[in-house]
Amino acid sequence: MNDRDREQFDDELTAKARELAGDVEPERDLWPGIHAAIHESMQGPAATASVFGASFQRYLAQAAAVILLVGGSSGLTYLAISGDRDNVSPVAAGIELPLDAVSASFGSQYTLGPDFQDARRNVEGRLETELERLSPEARAEVEANIETIRTAIAEINKALAEEPDNVLLQQLLLSSYQEELAVMRKVNGITNTVMLRDDI
Amino acid sequence: MEALVGTEALAVEGGSVTETEQDRVRRAQAADTRAFEALYREHVGKVYGLCLRMTGNPSEAEDCAQEAFIQAWSKLDKFRGDSSFGTWMHKVAVNVVLGRMRKSRREQDRIRAVGDISPTPESIGDSGGMQDLEQAMNELPTGARHVFVLYAVYGYSHDETGEMLGIAAGTSKAQLHRAKRLLAQQLEPASGVT
Repeated sequence: MNDRDREQFDDELTAKARELAGDVEPERDLWPGIHAAIHESMQGPAATASVFGASFQRYLAQAAAVILLVGGSSGLTYLAISGDRDNVSPVAAGIELPLDAVSASFGSQYTLGPDFQDARRNVEGRLETELERLSPEARAEVEANIETIRTAIAEINKALAEEPDNVLLQQLLLSSYQEELAVMRKVNGITNTVMLRDDI
Repeated sequence: MEALVGTEALAVEGGSVTETEQDRVRRAQAADTRAFEALYREHVGKVYGLCLRMTGNPSEAEDCAQEAFIQAWSKLDKFRGDSSFGTWMHKVAVNVVLGRMRKSRREQDRIRAVGDISPTPESIGDSGGMQDLEQAMNELPTGARHVFVLYAVYGYSHDETGEMLGIAAGTSKAQLHRAKRLLAQQLEPASGVT
């Protein structure tokens, strides 16, 4: 085949190829399979969203409950202790409570960091002594409220065992620990204030 | 009548409004599966034909065409109408075929089995010249076959063919040249191309 023949062959070949039917119908209807896959994909994200929504709502409800518990407990603790303080003396009312910020972070398995653990142990160790300085009613109130916070912490830990990567629960746990520490420090601070009055 | 699937929504009192492909695409983009079915009915032949010629295997081609439409559904929001829906579907189908071929060792076996093309009695000189050509195309090595199908059968330019296959336009030209030479070897003994 010379060049001219080859050129002619190429032209004929291209023309022939263009004549081939572009459309070839498959032997079976592919739509049912496509429709099923589409249907599944449409349900998939919705189902996921629904699951996520349900999960999120559950956590939101848990979060709201815990915030109410912790906030309520802190408030009640404050009122109980304040009531005791008011009964004793207004002299030290202006004293600032030493609520130092303690950095808190989770280590592995939601164990609090060593700094926070130290601060917590320190305050907890003094708590019993300080509680004895309060009136029996105020003491019972504070103990009940700290217990409420600890119950909430236990509940959050349980939820975290199921959903270890849930950031909302992690944050909630952290703030609950901080709240517990703050309440215990308030008790210590206010009983110290009461002591000031006794000294007088 | 099948192609009318999905157009009922536009029926109006005293007649019906002709729905364009663009309308169907828009409705499909809004998650209207009936509009997408209408698009499928219109384009399945073109998509399956391409898949069949690229894979050379009817069963594999059906899987590819099906997957192409499923992928197209999930990517419909990316279709901006710069090209026709048919061309866009072809691009999706080519990607599906190439993706499946990469995963499949069958194609590697096929390439090895084909080796150097040699004419076979049943592929030459039968009364249906088109069948000869189809058969000869089917026996081309993968790269040459893909280029020949896209360029010669479906009329894409070398730039478009290269873009679809992820190769340079120059490579597309070289593969076409190779395909023609191999087809000449196959078809030459017959009278003319046909």
